[in-house]
Amino acid sequence: MLLHENKKARLLTFLKLGINPFKNFVSTGEIKEELGLVISRKNILDEIVKIIENDKNLVLPIIGDVGIGKTHLFWALKNNLYYHNAFYISLETVIKKFFYNIYSEFIEAIGVEPLRNIVNQICSQWGALERKFGFFHVVDINKIRKNAFNKLSDQYSEDEKRTLLDIINGITTHQLDPYKKVEAEGWLLGELMNVKELSSLNIVHDLRNSKTAYSMLKLLIENSKLGSILFIDDFEKMINMNKPSIEFEEEPEEVFDRSWLYGKKVSPDKVIKSKKIFEKLKKLYQINGLRIIITMNSLDSLEDIKRNLRDTALEVNIKEPIILPKFNKSDILELYKKNMKAFLENINFSDYLKEFSDDLFPLNEEILQKIHQDSKGNPRECLKLLINLFNVMVYSDDNLNDILEHYLNSN
Amino acid sequence: MNAVIDNILFDSMKEIKLEGEFKGSIITKCNDDYNSIIFSDNIIISNSEGISIKEGLKVGFEFIGNNISAFSRKKDFNWVDNLNEIEYSVLIPNNIMEVYDEGQFGDAFPYTLNLLHTAGLFLSDYEHGINHLDFFKGEILKNPVSLIMNGIIVADRVVIDHRGDPVFYDCLIVGRDQKDDLSISYEPLTNVKKSLGNVEYIIILGIEELKQ
Repeated sequence: MLLHENKKARLLTFLKLGINPFKNFVSTGEIKEELGLVISRKNILDEIVKIIENDKNLVLPIIGDVGIGKTHLFWALKNNLYYHNAFYISLETVIKKFFYNIYSEFIEAIGVEPLRNIVNQICSQWGALERKFGFFHVVDINKIRKNAFNKLSDQYSEDEKRTLLDIINGITTHQLDPYKKVEAEGWLLGELMNVKELSSLNIVHDLRNSKTAYSMLKLLIENSKLGSILFIDDFEKMINMNKPSIEFEEEPEEVFDRSWLYGKKVSPDKVIKSKKIFEKLKKLYQINGLRIIITMNSLDSLEDIKRNLRDTALEVNIKEPIILPKFNKSDILELYKKNMKAFLENINFSDYLKEFSDDLFPLNEEILQKIHQDSKGNPRECLKLLINLFNVMVYSDDNLNDILEHYLNSN
Repeated sequence: MNAVIDNILFDSMKEIKLEGEFKGSIITKCNDDYNSIIFSDNIIISNSEGISIKEGLKVGFEFIGNNISAFSRKKDFNWVDNLNEIEYSVLIPNNIMEVYDEGQFGDAFPYTLNLLHTAGLFLSDYEHGINHLDFFKGEILKNPVSLIMNGIIVADRVVIDHRGDPVFYDCLIVGRDQKDDLSISYEPLTNVKKSLGNVEYIIILGIEELKQ
C-alpha cells in the first residue's frame, strides 16, 4: 500500500528517461501551436482582430526581432479568427511558383468540403441551378459556360481569356459533369496533371500556371462567405535581396573595382525577383476580401515596403505597424507555467498540477529571472535556455540543487 | 420536412382559393382521366379571370390511336368557368426546394440514365396498362414523376430494385392526409411496393421536352 508518494522525485525520475518538457523553439506555419499567447500580448491580438474586422482589404505590418514570436502570433490569430480562412506562407521557402503555393495553402486552410460549396455557389451564379418549369435542373453546360464567360470576360485582358476559359471549364465540369467530376476536383485541388488529363477536361494549364492560380485564388476568395487572411512571414527577405549582402560589406578594400569584372554586388536576378514579389503583392491586394499580414524584423524595412508598394494606379491601404515587444519577467513565468502544465497533462501527470501549483518546480523564480536576463526577453532564446537547462537535468548525474546553482553562477 | 396552409393556392375539395400572382415552384393536379400534373414557375388566380399558368409543363397519359402513351408538353393554360378541371394547386416552399436542390448534382450516382423523350415506365390500367419496371431493374432513371395513392412524387431519380419495386431518391411529395388536407413534404428516399397496387403511374421525363 502506497502511503506517501514523493511526486517531485518521481517527476525528476521521469525526466531522466530523456523527456524534455520544452521541445520547439522555432514556430512554423506547418505545425500547429497549441499554447496561446501570454497575457501581455492579448491586447496586441485584440488590436489586430479589430483592424481585420474593420477593413476588408489591407496590408498590416507586424514588426519584431528574430524569435520574438511573429509566427506564433499567426497560430494565435488563426485560433482567434476561426470564422476566417487564415493561411500562412513564408517567403523563406516560397519564392518560385508563388501563386501556386499560396493557392495550395489556401485550399489546405479551407478544406475540400468548403471548396465544393464555394464552387457550387459560383456555378449557381452562372445559372447552373436555374429551374425549368419551377422544378427541373436541365444541365446545359455550354449555355452556363457562355453565361460565365459573359459575366467575367470584362475583368480579364485579351491574353488572359484562355485562363478564364480554363477556370470556367474546370468549375463547370466539376459541378455539372458527373463523369469527369473526380478529375476536375483534382484540378481544383491543385494536383499536377499531364496533357492528356488536362485535355480530357478541355483545359490547357493546371494550377502551376501563375495566371490560372491567381485567377482561381481571386475567384474563390471573393466568393467565400468567410473573410480571408494571408500571413506572409519573413517578408524582409525580399527587401534584403535588393541590398548588398553582409559578406560583400565586410570584404577587404580592393585596389580596383571588382564590379568591372564581376558585375554589381547585388545580383540582378535578385533585384528582379524582389520587384516581382512586390508586383505579386499588389496583385494579391486587388483580391477583394483578402487581408494581408506581413512580418519583418525592423521598422527600416517598412519604409522600403511602402516605397515599393506605392503605385499611381493602386492605393494600397498599409496600416500602422504593430510592434511585438520583448517578454517581461512575468511573461517568462507564464510561458514556463503554461508549458509545464501542458507537459504534465500530456504525460498523464495532471494530479501533480495541484502539487506544483504554488512553486515552479523543478525550476524556481530566481532561475527564471536569470533566464529572462540571459535571453534579453527574447522568447526563442528563452526557450533555448530552458531546453538546455532541462537537458542538463535529464542527462547529468548531479542533483537538482547543484544544477540550478551552477546555472545561477554561470555567466 | 413538411409545409401546409400558406402554400395551398387552390383546393377544390376544401374550397381554398388564394387570389394573386404567385411565382416559384408550383404543382397543379388536374381532374382528368389520368390525373395529369402541371409543373410551372408561375400561376395567377383571380375571382374574375379564373386561373392561368404561363408556359407550364403538363405531364400525363393520352391516347394516340388505340395506344396509350405518356407525354409532357409545354403550354399556356387558362381556366375560367371550368375550374372543376383542377383538383389543387400548391406552391412548394423555398426551404423545401433548397433541400431538394442540394440532393441533386451528387457524385454518388454518376451513371444515371437520362431519357431523351418522355416515356411511361408504369401505368396501372386494366386495359392499357404499362409495366417496364423489369426492363429497368437495377438501373437509375433521372426525373421520375409518379402518382401514388392520390399523392404526387417528384424525385431527382428512381432506382428499380431487385424485386422490381421503384425506390425514389430526393423526393418532393404532395398528398392528402386522412382528413383530406393537402400537405407538402420532402423525403430523401421513398420506397414503394408496386405489388400493393397503390402506384397509379410513373413517368420518366425526357430531357428534350425539358429543354423546350
